[in-house]
Amino acid sequence: MLRDFLAPFIDEQSTNPFAVSKFVSTLEHAEYFLSGFAYTLSVSFLALAIALIFGTIGGVMATSKSKILRAYTRIYVEIFQNTPLVIQIFFLYFALPPLGIHLDVFLVGVLGVGAYHGAYVSEVVRSGIQSVPKGQFEAASSQGFTYVQQMRYIIVPQTIKIILPPLTNQMVNLIKNTSVLLIVAGGELMYQADIYAGDSLNYAPAYIIAAILYFIICYPLAYFAKFYEDRLKKAHLAR
Amino acid sequence: MKKLYVGLMLGFGLLAFTACGGGTENKAGNATGLEAIKAKNELVVGVKNDVPHYALLDQATGEIKGFEIDIAKALTKEILGDETKLKLVPVNAKTRGPLLDNGSVDVVIATFTITEERKKAFNFSKPYYQDAIGLLVLKEKGFKSIEDMNEATIGVAQGATTRKLVGDSAKDKGVNVKFSEFPDYPSIKSALDAKRVDAFAVDKSILLGYVDEKSEILPDSFAPQDYGIVSKKSNAELATFIDQFVDNNTALFEELEAKWELK
Repeated sequence: MLRDFLAPFIDEQSTNPFAVSKFVSTLEHAEYFLSGFAYTLSVSFLALAIALIFGTIGGVMATSKSKILRAYTRIYVEIFQNTPLVIQIFFLYFALPPLGIHLDVFLVGVLGVGAYHGAYVSEVVRSGIQSVPKGQFEAASSQGFTYVQQMRYIIVPQTIKIILPPLTNQMVNLIKNTSVLLIVAGGELMYQADIYAGDSLNYAPAYIIAAILYFIICYPLAYFAKFYEDRLKKAHLAR
Repeated sequence: MKKLYVGLMLGFGLLAFTACGGGTENKAGNATGLEAIKAKNELVVGVKNDVPHYALLDQATGEIKGFEIDIAKALTKEILGDETKLKLVPVNAKTRGPLLDNGSVDVVIATFTITEERKKAFNFSKPYYQDAIGLLVLKEKGFKSIEDMNEATIGVAQGATTRKLVGDSAKDKGVNVKFSEFPDYPSIKSALDAKRVDAFAVDKSILLGYVDEKSEILPDSFAPQDYGIVSKKSNAELATFIDQFVDNNTALFEELEAKWELK
């Protein structure tokens, strides 16, 4: 149908990588891209949940009074921030099975990407908490709030506005970084696009379509975060 | 919202522009013609560097060596009269197409299987080597042939024809197999060792470079694949020349096959 509609533009003999005919044959194999898209969405969603949980716990631990807790998060953050995600994925995929731990690719993706970005989110949360003036903690404890209550009612609500932009960056990066799973036959969007590109040699349309699909996931997230941030700021000024 | 709209229009406009360019002949094609290669006095050949016997990077010397490298040398000598004017560029199944299109390499000799669909995108020479696909499995799994491998996962290289050929053959035998595609051969071997995949499927002579005491090659053989020397579609002159080169050198290829233990 698409082929008939675009018939006047199709030149089967064209050798240009961006030829319309190549886009049409790529779109005729949409099932590759759609299955990859769904896989990317589900890995991203679960990895995001893990990153936020690890990040929040890590960030709060990093600002606690206990030296052990602080040292513990420091080690976690430094290890994950200072080694490439690819190595972490390789480790989970190739190095764990000989040790008797066999995670499937989906779990490798969720845990690998989630823990990696959890380290970054942890730093975002830590800097957010530390940017709240010390007086706020003192005032809160003078009113008899426990540590958990201080965090819950006084500190964390104030940090959200501050950490929202860097947190959004992390979320968008996380979604894009799920593409590293292609090296371990992950089944996500980049893997599927790559397979199609390699089989058909229609690499230009394959990667452009993959890029558009990533944009469709990432842009609304970034846009929503910006919108929410603006609303928070306005609400604050109106008071 | 207005900005978003303008941005999207710009994006699609650009896309439409490049897409429409598809109709016109690619002018850059002439830059890699036979004369142009002689003018720059260098032949740039895309080769693999991870395939034992064919083209493997020698860690000690940092040189790539193998059957296909020797063919590239012979081709360079034929065009430029001196085999030292060869420049090797490592490629893989995914990069070899784009590198040809953008003119980074003049020719690709990289276990590139000839298929009808691919002939639409590039010029393939007559085959210089023919090989059947085989299966490498771990001995401990006890597979005797693909017929034992129902529901097994087979590791193949991305952009290779292996998946389709093995898949069709398995289907004919009533066996249902799954596939995982990896970017290069060493990662498939690692996946096999880590028991991520049950078998490593690729051309038999390539498998010979990966067999070790824990693994074995099954007697099964799948559809033979023909390897061709590949050049850019728009460069008909070079393609004709390469075709003649393949025709005239069958004796040399056989000699090289023996030298690199591919027979």
